[in-house]
Amino acid sequence: MDTKNKKQHRYGMVIDLDKCTGCGACMVACAVENNIPPATAKATDRTGITWVRVYKFDNGLPFPNNRSAYIPMPCQQCGEHTPCVSVCPQKAVEVDAASGIVAQIPVRCLGCRYCMTACPYHARYFNWWDPVWPAGMEKTLNPDVSPRMRGVVEKCNFCHERLQAARAKAAAEGRDEIDPSDYQPACVEACPTGAITFGDLADPNSEVAQLVQNGHAFRMLETLGTEPKVYYRSDQAWVRQIAQQEVQKPKAKEKVHG
Amino acid sequence: MFPGVYGFTWEPGNLIFLGIFYSVVAIILGTMGIVLVRSLKDFQSQKADQIRWKLDFEDLPEGNRTCRHELTGEFRHRTCERGFDCRECPDHAKLVASKIRTIHPGYETGDEEGCILGFDMPLERQYHRGHTWVMTEPDGTTTVGLDDFGSRLIGEPDEVRLPAAGTSLHLNGTAWHFKKNGSDLRILSPVDGEVIQTGGKKAGWYLKLKPLGKKMDTRHLLRGAEIRPWLAREMERLEFSLAADGVGMSLADGGALVEDLSKEYPSLDWDAVWGQMFLEP
Amino acid sequence: MDKQLIIRGLRRSPLSKFLLWILPWVALLGLGLYAGYLCLARGLNQTNMDNRFAFGLWIYLDLTIIALGAGAFFTGFLLYILKKDQLKAVINSAVVLGLICYSGAIVVLMVDVGQPLRAWFTFWHPNVHSMLTEVTFCITCYLTVLLVEYAPLVLRNRKLRQIPSLLVFEFHLHKVMYVLAGVGTFLSFFHQGSLGGLYGVLRGRPFAFREGIGIWPSTFFLFILSAIAAGPSFILLTTWLVSKLSKKELVKREVLSLLGRISGILLMVYVLFKTIDTLIWINHTAPASGFNPFDFYSWEPFGTWLLFAEIVVCGLLPAIILLDKKRREQTGWLVSAAFLVCVGVMLNRFVFTIQTLALPTLPFDRFLSYVPSWQETATFLAVVAYGVLIYSLSFRYLPLFPQEKELRQS
Repeated sequence: MDTKNKKQHRYGMVIDLDKCTGCGACMVACAVENNIPPATAKATDRTGITWVRVYKFDNGLPFPNNRSAYIPMPCQQCGEHTPCVSVCPQKAVEVDAASGIVAQIPVRCLGCRYCMTACPYHARYFNWWDPVWPAGMEKTLNPDVSPRMRGVVEKCNFCHERLQAARAKAAAEGRDEIDPSDYQPACVEACPTGAITFGDLADPNSEVAQLVQNGHAFRMLETLGTEPKVYYRSDQAWVRQIAQQEVQKPKAKEKVHG
Repeated sequence: MFPGVYGFTWEPGNLIFLGIFYSVVAIILGTMGIVLVRSLKDFQSQKADQIRWKLDFEDLPEGNRTCRHELTGEFRHRTCERGFDCRECPDHAKLVASKIRTIHPGYETGDEEGCILGFDMPLERQYHRGHTWVMTEPDGTTTVGLDDFGSRLIGEPDEVRLPAAGTSLHLNGTAWHFKKNGSDLRILSPVDGEVIQTGGKKAGWYLKLKPLGKKMDTRHLLRGAEIRPWLAREMERLEFSLAADGVGMSLADGGALVEDLSKEYPSLDWDAVWGQMFLEP
Repeated sequence: MDKQLIIRGLRRSPLSKFLLWILPWVALLGLGLYAGYLCLARGLNQTNMDNRFAFGLWIYLDLTIIALGAGAFFTGFLLYILKKDQLKAVINSAVVLGLICYSGAIVVLMVDVGQPLRAWFTFWHPNVHSMLTEVTFCITCYLTVLLVEYAPLVLRNRKLRQIPSLLVFEFHLHKVMYVLAGVGTFLSFFHQGSLGGLYGVLRGRPFAFREGIGIWPSTFFLFILSAIAAGPSFILLTTWLVSKLSKKELVKREVLSLLGRISGILLMVYVLFKTIDTLIWINHTAPASGFNPFDFYSWEPFGTWLLFAEIVVCGLLPAIILLDKKRREQTGWLVSAAFLVCVGVMLNRFVFTIQTLALPTLPFDRFLSYVPSWQETATFLAVVAYGVLIYSLSFRYLPLFPQEKELRQS
């Protein structure tokens, strides 16, 4: 497809932490959509694969002043100095110029995991095991997404196959641009509280662009200069503070994943 | 990696990186190519023996590379740089020309008849530093044998491997091999020549040669007055070599060496001693 | 038969004793090979690495042994390019050490990556902006150079030398050694640097991230400096150790002193630059990326004592000892200082590989620990065993120390 004359998009999302209940529906929807195999019995929270991972954090105060919140962490789709792109020795990570999506190409991945050490958001996952689907469950596989093999790295790509489908549909209908409502990642659809808003940040009229402007939006580790395209927002000051406060001292918050 | 391969771009970073890489590969391959061509050339022109001697000579300790003119006292200290090949040595030629070299009999008072330091070293023979002797026969052929010093060092060899008649020998190349106590000993060829006949220990000589060119060149061989100081130095070298193995004996005072030295001290590292004395470190 | 393979005039222990010595190492190597097989056949789930600790013991091992192996290229550089002829006494040993370190590192890397059969992808479509690409290219080329440098040593074995074609080949190979030494220096220089760059470019890991000159972060230059400072010390240490174990004098004492002095001078320069770099990092780089540098050291046991141990105890202290002529002449001081230098470079590589990953970056994340699995440890130990075996065999059958014969006779 000729992308030269197309508009440049910058797909991104805004996650409203005030709406996130930590239910984990996004994680499940993501796994189903992207053909992530059921974890083996030996997998831990550090070796399993969840392209979006929900962390819990709190304000560190004792009861009754304790407050906690959840924060889903997909690939932050960095726009500048994308840490994983420059480090990959064999061009298995690329930023798609047309969509701004950071793409992982598992078939070209060597499995050196340098990109994983480079990612400050820990949003990259390695296939420590062979992907195995219990008999019968392979029927649930999504035909639009190829499963990955053992020994390669993978990560969230904003359900790229859905963008492809939307483009195909637009082309079939003779349109140059996709209908934004045709392209929504699985986690966005699945979120029961509608905490995730997805859209084109380059379009000032889009909902995401509006939300980013509203003043209570922020990004993780902004000081690193990676310009993520995943924004968070919260009306609670302590949430904005804690998420923006950099590395914590020991005795600090514990983490539980949802 | 190449234009046309996915991901190749003509950006400067790519070109510099790949340019350096290809240069390094080219240098490594080019160097190896040169080495292979040179080796092949030298191997085909049968320079292996010459090269072996060159390397062995470099491996000899400095004390083993003494110039013959130091032995005779013409220099206080001088180390040979040309593998004991005096034929092309300008200093040797000059020294020979400038002085009438007194070829007085090497005997001194105290030597028995025909003996130098207790070794049977006839003066009509010329000697190579690797303990072979050379004698030109009236018929123009040259006889080569192991000198008395050498044969006492080895004693009775287990096996002698002589070259076949017709073989061309080159100075400081391999003349023949001895096998003794599992050690392989290479005896250096004292001259250039073609083998016409082979003898053995019983015959008293090992090879008969005819010159490769018109005449047998023996300018590099030790003779006359040089033999005695050379032998004295060889005794020192031997003592030194034995001392390294903890045998603190004095060979010089005791007169002649026994007939088969290795039989006398079987526990020594004879392989190393032979290597030292026959110039194959 | 065995006696016929040993260099003439050198004393080596009886074959039975030698076999007894290598037996445990062979066993260890066997165990490691089995562990490596498990990792290749069943996947990296055999390790205790995970998505957060994506690099573990193996990468630490690679960085460390390659730093210690720097002695090979640097000694070659000093001998063949700068004509420090005294170093002829250790160059062969240095080449063997270099070969062991580099080949060991590459073998471990092949187990470490998830898809070893795709290793050639890096050559086919290289991302020239990645430090790992530079490392891959340089290490492969340099291993080739090391093999070519090791070849003459093998060919000088007593039996192989008897084959005329090999003798001639060795002779000509040796003549071009300065070209290979030059190429080796160039390659090593770059990849020692790019191994440092590997971590220095990690913008997402403010603990490791460093600013620098052009495309190279400061760690690029610091890794080169620390490697060439530690390389001679490592050669000194191994020579001393082999000498002790074999109960033989292998090199003249002044060669060890010279190695110590070279190490001392370079280490002093390194300590100076490392201190400057650390100060810049504390006062500028880390705060600019939004982190308080001392927070990184607030996670026990990785406190500021590490910084002190690395720069002062294993940096400044041995540098002072090695630069002091009197102390250098005393073997006890010399060897202890060389040991500290090696520990220092190991500590530095540890800090960059392990501490970097243990520290959290996300504010709500925690400090992580990681303990290697037995498979990882066994593979690690197999590299050590492999090194001991190659070195033992080389020491027995090849002319590693040209001065040994001479020293035996005096």
